[in-house]
Amino acid sequence: MQPDGKISVLDRFRTMRETRIGSFAPVLLALAAIWAWFGLALPLWDLASGEADGFRAIFLSPRNIYNLFMQSALIATLAVGITTVLLLGEIDLSAAATAGVCAALLGVMVLAGVPGWLACLIVMAIGVVMGAAQGVLVAYIGIPSFVVTLAGLLGYQGLMQKILPTGNLNVGDPFVRGFTRVLIPDIWGLALGTLCILLFAYASLQKQARRRALGLEVDPPLALWGQVLAFGTIVIAVILTLNAYRSLPLLLVLLVGITTLLGWITTSTPFGRSLFAVGGNAESARRAGFNVNRIRVAAFGIVGLMAAIGGIFGASRFGSVSYTAFAGGSLLLEAIGAAVIGGTSLFGGRGSVWNAILGALVIGSLGNGLDLTGASAADKLMVSGAILILAVAIDALSRRDGSVGQ
Amino acid sequence: MGPESNKVGHSAPPAHLSVRGIQKRFGGVHALRGVDFEVARGEVMALVGDNGAGKSTLMKVLAGAYVADEGQFFLDGANVSVNNPNDAADLGIQIVYQDLALCENLDVAANLSLGSEPVKPGWTILPRILRPLDDLEMEVKAKEAFDKLEVRTLQSVRAKVGGLSGGQRQAIAIARAVGADSTVVMLDEPTAALGVAQTRQVLEVVKRLRETNHAVVYISHNMRDIFDVADRICVLRHGGNVATYQRSDTTPDEIVVAMTRGRASEVNDAA
Repeated sequence: MQPDGKISVLDRFRTMRETRIGSFAPVLLALAAIWAWFGLALPLWDLASGEADGFRAIFLSPRNIYNLFMQSALIATLAVGITTVLLLGEIDLSAAATAGVCAALLGVMVLAGVPGWLACLIVMAIGVVMGAAQGVLVAYIGIPSFVVTLAGLLGYQGLMQKILPTGNLNVGDPFVRGFTRVLIPDIWGLALGTLCILLFAYASLQKQARRRALGLEVDPPLALWGQVLAFGTIVIAVILTLNAYRSLPLLLVLLVGITTLLGWITTSTPFGRSLFAVGGNAESARRAGFNVNRIRVAAFGIVGLMAAIGGIFGASRFGSVSYTAFAGGSLLLEAIGAAVIGGTSLFGGRGSVWNAILGALVIGSLGNGLDLTGASAADKLMVSGAILILAVAIDALSRRDGSVGQ
Repeated sequence: MGPESNKVGHSAPPAHLSVRGIQKRFGGVHALRGVDFEVARGEVMALVGDNGAGKSTLMKVLAGAYVADEGQFFLDGANVSVNNPNDAADLGIQIVYQDLALCENLDVAANLSLGSEPVKPGWTILPRILRPLDDLEMEVKAKEAFDKLEVRTLQSVRAKVGGLSGGQRQAIAIARAVGADSTVVMLDEPTAALGVAQTRQVLEVVKRLRETNHAVVYISHNMRDIFDVADRICVLRHGGNVATYQRSDTTPDEIVVAMTRGRASEVNDAA
């Protein structure tokens, strides 16, 4: 269908994004560029211009990487949730406010003497209800999700202020604080990473063998082993870096675990397939027999759940719940930005929860790096805006494929 | 069905699906005024008519998307009722709408299994929608469907539909309809948006459907395509039957006259 030899750069870019690994490429490149800039280029510049007396690799130091991961974890948790509604072509503006309400309730409950684990379960259930209620309005009443969740944003912000009249509450519960304080011992962290790599390799090989047995097209071995190698390198590098400062924190293990579960649900179950189908063509999905309304409600329920988990993580990390850290701050836009920078389409039907984590790292790295260089809050906002526009532009360009070879 | 002989061709094969006296009103508009229609297995029945003749309404009635106000359905001679799309699907009646209803962001195999995804055995603790998909089974099913229809233009069932041509998409939509154990396949203007080469591909698939003993209803405006694939041609006008012609006994001109002015001559059918 394509006239040979006339494949433009844009076409090549589009076909690359269609592949599984290719969808990670843009955001990985962005991350590498940001890290190279803050980690190598700026210190070298300081060295060359004589401002510093030695090479100061602050940004890429294990300590900073550790903090970077912890800072990005909250954004990532919300971004992973928001990705599920973005897949449907909907949006959730209330996620950060939901997280705030859940965190505030958690704080109030543990203060009143409710055990930490029970309080966590209760706020997770409340988060699901808060999300699903908005989903019902979107699906059954037919209000655009933008409006419903904008109302949710305002309402939940108010609710959070009602729960926390002072706007601040310390959370000292050992169970809640444990999510960030508990560290996996170095050796166990490595063992866990190795186990993940082995499982990944086993699953890939197993699938390849079944493909061959069924006479289906098989991936070239280079691609297969390349995937395993890339996955293994990243896992081991991350764990070694974290071990070099402290150890692998429980929070990151939980985040990766939840994302794995949600990633599996969205890509490998009939429910996940229905999310993509509704996002790609809701009318086709309806005719194919999917209950589109129920799927919408479920997706909003998942955002609510992830927002509640984000609230718990946030309360655990800050040791307190404050209005500005959740509902009133920039968390919402950072989370949506992270999902979109990760390559999840705002138009629905394309994206992945893993990309949301990478997107959150991009946002987190920008904030962290600009902080280290002493940039003002104004600079940070402007750079974040520019990155977001760039990401959405890439999305729009790669979407405008139209009908190739009509 | 004796008196129908002037409406159904004189050498009509036994009908697989037939409807009698279908009436459909939309408010004051009388869209179908007692239409009779039938299609046999291993036959391509073209359904033609001017705009507003009732083709689409009839097709949607057959597919269960509309419920007829009056009229009877027969499947292999047995009286059946079709009140919603699921009834039609259960009877093996499938429709390929003009917009194809494909998800462009999914690959070919996923589109073919859309709504009836195979899941791996076991995992019975989980509700069905959360069990692991058997995506390799999907690919196998897709390959089988295309082999059955002898579609050779698709290189990979793992390609995203968004990057495929109109003819390939039409083939996918037809393969999906056939894959659902259907016996009646209705195609709504399948070649309307296609170029010459793509049209030929689709017509090959339609002929292949006839060879695989499907009953095919083919709606089109294009006389050349109709005279290429159809065995019989049913002409509607103003919500009623004009006549059903054997392709071999008629000409495009006669069909056009029948579409626009009704029965031009009694001679043809009496012959």
